[in-house]
Amino acid sequence: MPELGPVTCAGCGLLCDDVTVEELGEDLRLRPECRLGARWFSERWWPLADAPAATIDGQPAEIDAALMRAGELLRRARRPQLRGFDGATVEDARAAAALADRIGALVTTGRADGPWPGAPAAPLRGISTATLGEIRDRSRVVVIWREDPETTHPRLLERLGFGSRGAGRVLVVIDDRDTATTARADLRLSWPPERDLDALVTLCDGDVDGLYERLAAVPHAAFVYGSGLTGGAGGQRRALALHELVRAMSHERHVVTLELPRAPGTRSADDVLAWQAGYSERVDFASGHPELVIATEPLDDVDVTLNIESGPGGGLVVGSASEVWIRTARAGVSAAGTVHRLDGVPLTLQAPRPDHAPTAAVLLTRLLAEVER
Amino acid sequence: MSAIRIAGGRVHDPANDVDGEVRDVCLEDGKVVADVGPQARRIDARGMVVLPGGVDIHAHIAGPKVNAARKLLPEERRADPLDRTELLRSGTGGIVPSTFVTGYRYSLLGYTTVVEAAAPPLAARHVLAELRDTPMIDKLFLILMGNNQVLFELIRQRAASRIKDAVAWWLEATGGYGVKLVNPGGIERFKQDNGNVHSIDDEVTGYGVTPRQVLEAIGGAVDELGLPHPVHVHANNLGVPGNADTTLDTMRTLSGRQAHFAHLQFHSYGANPGRTLTSRASELIEYLGDHPEITADVGQVMFGPAVTMTSDGPVSATLRDLGGDKWLNHDTEVETGCGIVPYTYRAGSYVHALQWGIGLELFLLGRNPWQVMLSTDHPNGGSFLSYPKLIRLLMDRAYREDQMGRANQRAIRRTALVDGLDREYTLNEIAIITRAGPARRLGLRDKGHLGVGADADVTVYHDRADREEMFATPRYVIKAGRVLVDDGELCRTEDGVLFSSRADFDPDVSRVLEPLFGERYTVSFAHYPVRDPALREPARVVEAAT
Repeated sequence: MPELGPVTCAGCGLLCDDVTVEELGEDLRLRPECRLGARWFSERWWPLADAPAATIDGQPAEIDAALMRAGELLRRARRPQLRGFDGATVEDARAAAALADRIGALVTTGRADGPWPGAPAAPLRGISTATLGEIRDRSRVVVIWREDPETTHPRLLERLGFGSRGAGRVLVVIDDRDTATTARADLRLSWPPERDLDALVTLCDGDVDGLYERLAAVPHAAFVYGSGLTGGAGGQRRALALHELVRAMSHERHVVTLELPRAPGTRSADDVLAWQAGYSERVDFASGHPELVIATEPLDDVDVTLNIESGPGGGLVVGSASEVWIRTARAGVSAAGTVHRLDGVPLTLQAPRPDHAPTAAVLLTRLLAEVER
Repeated sequence: MSAIRIAGGRVHDPANDVDGEVRDVCLEDGKVVADVGPQARRIDARGMVVLPGGVDIHAHIAGPKVNAARKLLPEERRADPLDRTELLRSGTGGIVPSTFVTGYRYSLLGYTTVVEAAAPPLAARHVLAELRDTPMIDKLFLILMGNNQVLFELIRQRAASRIKDAVAWWLEATGGYGVKLVNPGGIERFKQDNGNVHSIDDEVTGYGVTPRQVLEAIGGAVDELGLPHPVHVHANNLGVPGNADTTLDTMRTLSGRQAHFAHLQFHSYGANPGRTLTSRASELIEYLGDHPEITADVGQVMFGPAVTMTSDGPVSATLRDLGGDKWLNHDTEVETGCGIVPYTYRAGSYVHALQWGIGLELFLLGRNPWQVMLSTDHPNGGSFLSYPKLIRLLMDRAYREDQMGRANQRAIRRTALVDGLDREYTLNEIAIITRAGPARRLGLRDKGHLGVGADADVTVYHDRADREEMFATPRYVIKAGRVLVDDGELCRTEDGVLFSSRADFDPDVSRVLEPLFGERYTVSFAHYPVRDPALREPARVVEAAT
């Protein structure tokens, strides 16, 4: 089989759109090579042998019947919740938000079993961000703060120009663990996580292990961070301290940040929620209008969930005990769609191996009609 | 589709020289027609005022910048929720409303067409998706091209025909309607090291081009292409004392070409020797009077809360340093930047009161309402919801003088408002600056008027002495021949249509652009254009004149 592509890979939030895929027997070869991308495509590339289009209570079912049952569950729900959205397309999220609005659901983006990412700090004071190309072409110092993109976003450093663009650029990695990313550092700072807040505050007007001197010497710098800095207890305060540091340093130079999501990320869904509802990440439509939920744990009165799963066996899962499952097309392999990169750039996912499975967006729209019947 | 006869209203249709004539307006199949049969729905408009649907030539309603503001300001909308109904989607309001609420509230004001005035081409998919979720109004967007590194390279090469092709290619690739230049060269400088350009002859470091060359090249390309809307300019040095020199210099640079200047109020400043802000509105209006090829929207400041959002990152950095609590910056590779700072205009502030006064000077000193159009640069000078109040300021001298009395007097004394400026806008003039003028300037031939063949976009108002109340609560709003608002309530929803423009270009320009893209973008050239029909269609494409 000839190479297919270039196509966009949604294996992580980077959405590299220069990827070609070649079938080699039962394996796939990706160019440029990427371990995460190869796994993402491999898990979605091959048709699911004998997989039903839908199940009800674990038994194969027609899609129409599954939608009818799902609609019934949602109609009867006292406290429905829509969740998941990892890797969801804009189209999926638009349809999901319409359904949530109609049934008065709670919407939470992100994996239910993942660590709490920390309350967002940006709405408190703001944030300075940039697209990948800006950092690649302008940042003379890039600080990666307690993240390991070599593992989680394998082509990040390449896409930020390390190894190809501009001699003399400095990669600083702050991490007390030995990781694939610390091995790439020009300057490694190994302080423990407990020191992060103090370091961030101190850097506003003083040096910490030579870092301030590095940053102060250049006209443009970037911080790359994620839940390694902002997750868990005190995460919001650390995130706020980072944004305050960026703001303070921005008087004399241009400083930007780039947040790494858990792959592949919920940026598309969060952007859609923000424009349709005015809020993102945790939005409750129960009162008849959107309300921003400020909570650290899922609300415990949810009785029916609709999970929008984009994993290898992607589908809509409805019910407290997964009573209904409906297979969805795999956006980026068997269906096209629009997704937002981790820096907000919108891109198209192609369908190099199209099939007839409906997308989540199509199913959610039909489910809305079912609920309204 | 049902027919409607709007009977016996006082019609103001300045594009067709109808000024307050009592007559019927007939609508059928989404268009204004000469007559309809007896079966047509009859709307009794006796004693009412009939205008074409409103056309907002400059606002910020969709795209990554607007959405970033929503995320930045959750508290701003918490007190202004909109419940879902059988008819309406829920949402949140405030100064930067969610998409559905934006559409509903524009419709409730009698507006039927709105321009999103600043979209990064790279974010076109996002802009289009948001606009698809903004119901009730027809919409179009302008793409940002004043800090585009690829175009800088073509300008440096003096490749005029290639620039023209590239502009047309970009419109085709994005679904954009027109071209916007924001602080040409200055945003690129800001993204380098927080710099800026301070005159239109400052060189943009690293590119060997000046803002003047950018204005000439891209303004010239838009003019030669014959796009329906001329180049839309946010000039350099926005907000800077003394920037009227830059604005006039920019106007002279574009001399002989069609051009629209955005939010002119923010570019009409003088400075006394102490660098205190003064007004030079009269000079700019005088220049416009002598140059009919130039138009402007005012960008009126309204006292109260606002959200400054602009591609002009250095302006936002300045506002941050002036005490802005929240500040958001976002840099988009190759093309542009973005800054957001929530802001409050205070009547007691010298600067804010002067800005308010300068905006009114521009409206009131202008001799030709077709050249000076109504905007608040929503939400920069204030929400679009303040348009009725602004209209009252223009139509009601006594009210205006009362409001002047509440503002900083030192500032007001430095404006022409205190020199017996007693002009009161007529309804016909309001129809020009909110409907006919913007539509004509946008090249939307079927908008902004009520002649046979026009889109059946009509607003019917009670003729109230309180013009603010009148314009805040239309009796009927009709869009594409369907009644959407009846007695101040939304009674039907519509998706609205997307407008884009198209001009011929040499497809060979792709061979020139592709390597320039490869060096600069992190998105491949092949994947850059928006092709998804769900985003691009349906659309009404307005062809360039040449």
